[in-house]
Amino acid sequence: MPIHNLGYREWNGELRSPSTRWLVVAEIGIRRAWQSAWLRRMMFFAWVPGIVMGFMIFIYEQSAKQDGEVQDMMSAGAMALVTHESPDVIFRRIQQERILTGSRPSIGEARHLFWSALLQILFRRSQPFLLIPIVAVIAPPMISQDFRSRAFLLYFSRPMTKVQYIVGKAVTIGLYLSFVTMFPGLLLYFIGVLLSPDISVLYATWDLPLRVILASLLIVVPCTMLSLMLSSLTTESRYASFSWFAIWIFGHLTYVVIRSVASPGDSSMVQSLSLFETFNDLSSWILDPKLGVTHMETRLILITVLTAVCTAVLYRRVSAPMQV
Amino acid sequence: MTALVQLINVTKDYGSFRALSDVNLMIQPGITGLLGPNGAGKSTLIKVLLGLVRITFGDGHVLGFPIRTAADQIRTHIGYMPEDDCYVHGLTGIETMQVAAQLSRFPATEALRRGHEILDFCGMGQERYRPVETYSTGMRQKLRFAMAIVHDPKLLILDEPTSGLDPEEREAMLNRIRILARQFGKSVLLCTHILPDVQVVCDSVVILAAGSVRVSDTLEELCRVPNPSMTVTLSGDRDAYRERLNAKGVNSEIISLRQLRVFGDADALNEPLWSAATESGCLVRGVSPSRNSLEQIFLSAVREVTHANS
Repeated sequence: MPIHNLGYREWNGELRSPSTRWLVVAEIGIRRAWQSAWLRRMMFFAWVPGIVMGFMIFIYEQSAKQDGEVQDMMSAGAMALVTHESPDVIFRRIQQERILTGSRPSIGEARHLFWSALLQILFRRSQPFLLIPIVAVIAPPMISQDFRSRAFLLYFSRPMTKVQYIVGKAVTIGLYLSFVTMFPGLLLYFIGVLLSPDISVLYATWDLPLRVILASLLIVVPCTMLSLMLSSLTTESRYASFSWFAIWIFGHLTYVVIRSVASPGDSSMVQSLSLFETFNDLSSWILDPKLGVTHMETRLILITVLTAVCTAVLYRRVSAPMQV
Repeated sequence: MTALVQLINVTKDYGSFRALSDVNLMIQPGITGLLGPNGAGKSTLIKVLLGLVRITFGDGHVLGFPIRTAADQIRTHIGYMPEDDCYVHGLTGIETMQVAAQLSRFPATEALRRGHEILDFCGMGQERYRPVETYSTGMRQKLRFAMAIVHDPKLLILDEPTSGLDPEEREAMLNRIRILARQFGKSVLLCTHILPDVQVVCDSVVILAAGSVRVSDTLEELCRVPNPSMTVTLSGDRDAYRERLNAKGVNSEIISLRQLRVFGDADALNEPLWSAATESGCLVRGVSPSRNSLEQIFLSAVREVTHANS
């Protein structure tokens, strides 16, 4: 028998389960996206806010042991970043509450307030600015390039369904988006737990990781389906990139313009025009329901409808090349 | 022998356009050539066989699986080489092969090993480590062929496998098809416009025109002429030669400017062919037993449709 047989050989090995086909699509997508140097840089920066805020938790926990006033000042600072109010005003309000009630809140309540405020800052102030460019780098070529290079023939001439193909693509984007939303949020929580003086912190904040996961999913799923739909509408990935940015920028500009001319009472409905504001309010509502964000049902319906429409269009577009 | 493909009254409409019309087809194991002019419905037929499009009417089986309900099983056992480029942007040749094998449910390591093995069989060297976008037409052609056979399919559907190849590569490609069919028992459906390729490798031929099957038979049967005849190649006055033959009671028909088909047994024609040449002053340059060429069969099948439409 030759050492190196260049001829054809039949294959009788064991095949993998049919349910793992989407994993192949996801694996290709993840590997290809990671080739982008821009994506690698952005992923590095995505973790920085989580680490910085972890350091703030460390300072908070240290101050909690000594001085209640420093604790209140830090809570006021964090809340100010979430609610746009002045830290002084919030600090004075907290102090007044102390005088009126005549007692200090439990350390568990104060900690929950501070941690959820930090998570909201992470979700509202830092991560959206990474989420938008990251999607713009990885999502547009995902399906449009498959159309251009006719890779769909490679996929669909094999036993692969359109749903498996879409799931594979969605998992790729979802995973990278989770790296800028869910995982930094969870990291921040676990840093907080590790730096806390005692294990009772888990009892006071057990709901926060679940809230982080839910808030992340509410951002990741619609963004993934929207970006994939845009990618499926063209064979030129740059058009999908432009559309992605346009939806965010023009949506927000429209919201800003209408808000400036409309009466204050209408502003929460108008906010739905801006994906930026919609996702911010949704994540705030999930992370701290006491904040009193209004019209959540409208926004939830809007996001659900957006996701459903994008999925339907995407499925139709993926089926289209076979119908020619 | 069990039929590989059996289609019964298959019709496929795209909106108001009928791409396939009452196609009845039975393809036996071996190498089958699928011929037809542009727009004849070949691509649609391939998509129907792969289960990529739903048929409007009719029914059928591929490799024993019903085409309406078992597209997944059918595609598991079919290797399809499309005519156009199809690759995942940014991957090298060997990565593309690995992906193709993994999509056919090969484990990752085994997919890589199998990819290398098949690229060796297809004569791909170190270029397998280059991105596919940098490949020449011939290399892409070989890669597409390799992707089609990586999962060891029972039936291969090859769409224009030799187009764009130089003569040497074309011969090598046809040789690989022959090896797969003759030594490994693979069945092949060869869809091409290059008729000599079909003549060289195919056992049977299907000719499609205007969405319906015009011819479907073995190549041997198709090329056989109904009555014994000889093809005579001449130089000189063809019509005068033909008159002399008629005078001797020999029937003939014109094939081309310098060729005639003369009907009769070779032994019986021996004397009149030469004497008619002497009398008419023509020079007989060649005499050979007549066979229907595939080109003639193809053209007559296509012309029938053209006449019917006009």
